[in-house]
Amino acid sequence: MSTVERPRAAEQGDNAPGRATGVLRRLARDPIVVSGVAALVLWGVAALVSPAFASWSQIVTLLVLASFLGVIAIGQTLVVIAGGEGIDLSVGATATLAAIVASRHMDGSNEGFVGAVALALGAAAVVGALNATGILVFRVPPLVMTLGMISVVYGFIRLYTGGRPAGSAAPALRSLVGGDTVAGIPGVLWLWLGLSVLVIWLLRRTSYGWRLYAVGGNPTTAYLSGVNPRLVKASAYVLSSLFAGVGGLLLLGYTQTVFLRLADPYMLPSVAATVVGGTALIGGIGGYLGTIIGAILLTVLDSFLRVLQVGGGGDAPRQIIYGLVLLVVLSAYGRQKRLRQ
Amino acid sequence: MPTPYLQMTGVRKRYGGVTALAGADFAAEAGTVHAVLGPNGSGKSTLLKVLTGVVEPDAGEVRLEGRPLRPRGPRDTLEAGISAVYQELSLVEDFTVVDNLVLGVEPRRWGLRDRAQARRIALPWLERFADAFGGRVPADERVLGLDPGERQVVEICKALVRDPRVLVLDEATASLRRRQVEVLFDVVEELREAGVLVLFITHRLAEIRAVCDRATIMRGGTDVTTVTVGELPEQELVELMVGEMAAVGAAPSTAREQVRLEVRDLSGPRVREASFQVRAGEIVGVGGLQGQGQGSLLATLFGAERRHSGTVLVDGREVRPRSPKQAVRSGLAYVPGNRGTQGLALGRPILENMALPSLARRALLGVGLSRRREVEAARSAAGRMATKYGSLDDPVATLSGGNQQKVVVGKWFATEPRVVLMDDPAKGIDVRAKAELFGVVRDLAASGVAVLVSSSDDRELVEVCDRVLVMFEGRVVDDVHGERLTEETLVAAAMRVTGTEVGS
Ligand SMILES: Nc1ncnc2c1ncn2[C@@H]1O[C@H](COP(=O)(O)OP(=O)(O)OP(=O)(O)O)[C@@H](O)[C@H]1O
Ligand SMILES: [Mg+2]
Repeated sequence: MSTVERPRAAEQGDNAPGRATGVLRRLARDPIVVSGVAALVLWGVAALVSPAFASWSQIVTLLVLASFLGVIAIGQTLVVIAGGEGIDLSVGATATLAAIVASRHMDGSNEGFVGAVALALGAAAVVGALNATGILVFRVPPLVMTLGMISVVYGFIRLYTGGRPAGSAAPALRSLVGGDTVAGIPGVLWLWLGLSVLVIWLLRRTSYGWRLYAVGGNPTTAYLSGVNPRLVKASAYVLSSLFAGVGGLLLLGYTQTVFLRLADPYMLPSVAATVVGGTALIGGIGGYLGTIIGAILLTVLDSFLRVLQVGGGGDAPRQIIYGLVLLVVLSAYGRQKRLRQ
Repeated sequence: MPTPYLQMTGVRKRYGGVTALAGADFAAEAGTVHAVLGPNGSGKSTLLKVLTGVVEPDAGEVRLEGRPLRPRGPRDTLEAGISAVYQELSLVEDFTVVDNLVLGVEPRRWGLRDRAQARRIALPWLERFADAFGGRVPADERVLGLDPGERQVVEICKALVRDPRVLVLDEATASLRRRQVEVLFDVVEELREAGVLVLFITHRLAEIRAVCDRATIMRGGTDVTTVTVGELPEQELVELMVGEMAAVGAAPSTAREQVRLEVRDLSGPRVREASFQVRAGEIVGVGGLQGQGQGSLLATLFGAERRHSGTVLVDGREVRPRSPKQAVRSGLAYVPGNRGTQGLALGRPILENMALPSLARRALLGVGLSRRREVEAARSAAGRMATKYGSLDDPVATLSGGNQQKVVVGKWFATEPRVVLMDDPAKGIDVRAKAELFGVVRDLAASGVAVLVSSSDDRELVEVCDRVLVMFEGRVVDDVHGERLTEETLVAAAMRVTGTEVGS
């Protein structure tokens, strides 16, 4: 989505080598291709360092880990595309909230499964609605609003759980996420695939998607063309929280029990996966395919750092390096934003 | 033969599969006003952007006073004394006019910005152009509040502040009204006397004849010929510019009895108690001096500016759009006056820009889009306006200025509007396409649509409209039609009113 295809270039009768380098140059500038290649190279290096990395089961594990980030970053992608400095830093907190609500109501049994899921997603949607209200009605900058929302959500979780989250995942959820279903591939990956197709369709082939891009590209034009930009942006924030909620549920299915900061580590990576995949922070540019690749790239990087056991196997050095990489990535793309304007 | 003052030879530039320049040659002398003419997309802007260093050519050479010019960017050419007004406006909306004028060349004193000095440089030009701002000097106003014509004048002042030896004006007059153009031309005459080379792109014939000494005609990325303007009859000039063209006679009015749009005592931020009717099939113009609320009237009708009071009826039914969305639902369409900031999402594909206002009509259950159907709709709209494009998936920003403008207008066809509001819709469109555009507007009217159109060019209004409402300070003060509908009357109507109102 982020690359604008130019079929007419192919129709041109320029000499073959010139055309080939032209295509190469365009590919080299396509963020999806760049991120994809980077992910493959990292994975290759990791496999050289530790051959176990290349095993089928390890690959599946990597993808499962990437799927949580990928699902949480769906909403991030929508919000960033919608523009107006759009960003949702509360996705981590929202995912945690959904997991905690669901785990309490499932309490390790399948009985209240549907109700628990509905309640969890409902709670997530409320967070999204609050974000949207703050940003669009009270004109709080998205960064500030969603950052503030993190504290609100965690405060609420503390009240709700009394500091000790209760319950555990329903067996149905557990088997959905972890259990083998088709072709030795765990259900969560099929689910991610399904959601991806849905989101990519939503962005590319629905009037909602086209309006979202138009609003991100130029809200005034969208407004004067009969679109309600505020409604479109508000829906992006609500969807963002909803998908974060889904991500939280999947995490719950994976970890089976919850803890207070379950999905916290997904906050910045969700933004990073989005921008690395070519969705520009200025809005109106990008798509979910890139975010998928971005999520996989970041997950490979994280696992690679674990394999390297930098600094003698402790977790702290890895965290520092991963954090630094995120910072570099985000600031690099942030600078690009300024250059474009 | 002495070498020309400015010489460009064999300039080539291509973007992907589109050839913008195919080996163009160009030469011009100091102390002349040299027009660059040609149809939309013929490479005029690209040629002059190569000169100013904004575009890096694939091949070709530029020589100024015999010395080769190899700029790495506009900064280098600025130092060489070349300064330009581009077709796309480049002002910072949140800055004041003075800040915009000195942007990039801010005078400094002990490392700090010297505001007093900035004003000393900027004010003389603003004062010089006061008439173009309706008699005021908007030094400390923010650009945000200026209308498209005034912004254009600010752009011109910005180029002048840089004290150029070569001044490039790329359709700098496209959204200017008569009075503003007159002020500009006075200045251009002075610059010519002072030995400055003025390169002037325009699609308005009258302007070419009024100030230009020489003219280079471009077509398909090359220069066709260079002529001396004074030696050529107008008809031949038009033929050189766009090829043979049937003369557009005044088409018969298609107005019917039925009143389609009725406006009673409409007041808004810059509109005061406007009352008028437009019948089905009628094309009504909105004229007057610059900045008398013409744009505001259209925007208020469309719900884009807040209506304070008044009643608007479409086919006898009251409509009170509080947003453009509601206006579109009631059968209104609106071509805004500023294509870059209002008309287009520049980074998005042509396809999406074309589809935006009418998406819901083609979507399955209001949601699902079929690419084939969208492409068909966009092709047909683009075809109707004779838009030149490479692929519908290209960002609309890659189109030439005139072709962008065609998208701004064309995207409304598919909504099948009953009332069409157009704010200066033909700006930047070449002579032939303009005739085609107004032909399309005629067809729309013939099918029963009511059209309300403002224009910065009185000549356009006379050619296309059945009737022209003259506005002054937000009021409709005259209704010019029938025998009276000539350029002279329009000017007089706008001026006379000025006299009486000011006197009273
Ligand atoms: N950045 C770009 N990317 C791709 N194509 C471009 C770009 N800039 C210009 N073109 C193409 O080059 C051709 C010439 O464009 P140019 O803007 O020079 O035309 P023009 O003569 O100024 O037309 P107009 O009268 O409409 O302003 C057009 O077909 C246009 O689509
Ligand atoms: Mg141009």
